[in-house]
Amino acid sequence: MASLVGAFAASHGPLIIREWERVPAEQKKRMSAAYKELGRRLTAAKPDVLIVVSPDHWSNFFLDNYPTVCIGVGATSDGPPEPWMKDFPHRTLAGHPGLAQHLVEQALRAGFEPAVSHHLKLGPRLVHPALAHELSICRRSCRCSSTASSRRCRRWTAAINGERCCARRSRAIASRCASPSSARADCRTRSARRHGRDLRGLRPGDDPPLRPLGAGAHQISRRQATTHGNGSEEVRNWLVAHGAAGGRGFELVDYLPVPTSSSAAALPPGASRGDPPPASGPPVGQRGDSAS
Amino acid sequence: MRDYWLSKLFFDLQSPALAAEFRADRDKVLARYPLEPAVKDAIARTDVPFLAERTNAYLLRYYFFATGMKDDEFIRKLNHG
Repeated sequence: MASLVGAFAASHGPLIIREWERVPAEQKKRMSAAYKELGRRLTAAKPDVLIVVSPDHWSNFFLDNYPTVCIGVGATSDGPPEPWMKDFPHRTLAGHPGLAQHLVEQALRAGFEPAVSHHLKLGPRLVHPALAHELSICRRSCRCSSTASSRRCRRWTAAINGERCCARRSRAIASRCASPSSARADCRTRSARRHGRDLRGLRPGDDPPLRPLGAGAHQISRRQATTHGNGSEEVRNWLVAHGAAGGRGFELVDYLPVPTSSSAAALPPGASRGDPPPASGPPVGQRGDSAS
Repeated sequence: MRDYWLSKLFFDLQSPALAAEFRADRDKVLARYPLEPAVKDAIARTDVPFLAERTNAYLLRYYFFATGMKDDEFIRKLNHG
């Protein structure tokens, strides 16, 4: 019987790695401190396996077959394919097929039908060399029209939380991509403040508020995505961690818009070892749960 | 709009081997994809805004990274054509 020892979230912006040397010194210092604090808490939780939930930035899936959610069940996965990650020393990462398959079965019992992959490429959003075992759950790219509602994202991990593990969410809350619209919208003060407010406003039991995105919005419109920045799409990924932690909400370690790396770092840890999360909300399917 | 074959080209060019082939003989690689003439022309002219309207932002960036375009030039072309 596994137990959940923690739920953590962090920015996934690829440019945090690629453009690190261009980040202003003060921002670099603050980001480093926040990540180190996240690392300290993660180490203290002593997880045996990491379950990493992240979007797939076109490393594994294309438009001919792009699942909403895919669970990696293979014994191994490939390291990051991106050229700027060529110095990452681990070209192969060990998975945990037994636990992964269990999560698949648990998801099916809970009314979710994930895709399954026996061999994934793990991009910079997914690689964590610190542990012997890691299994990955991929969600659609943050710049794809998402088919998973924010409520559904939260319910997803709440549904598989019956078997508790260390879940770590690796996502950005405001990461800029290369399009004219997002270049205008993202990482600007107004947008970043809004995302920060979203995070701080996420409280235990919320389902979720995300008022700036439109109350009850199940599909964030293209207009909202461009006026609110990529974070409008990406914030729903944080809800997976929110669900994994039993809906107890976030403790915000830091929130820092960093335009140089096209990201904002927000590192909200959840439960810790010996402090199990409270029971999840009502079962999936209640309270108007929307199909993806 | 989403141009499937343009996106497919950009997706495939994540392969270092294909990217090298593309840099060596662009037309040979392009011939494998049923691209519209206007799209082929935009690729030849490095028309970033035109291409940006037809594919995903990540794929667009990967493509220009594969072609060797520097970030500053990419952003300038993206914003000003």
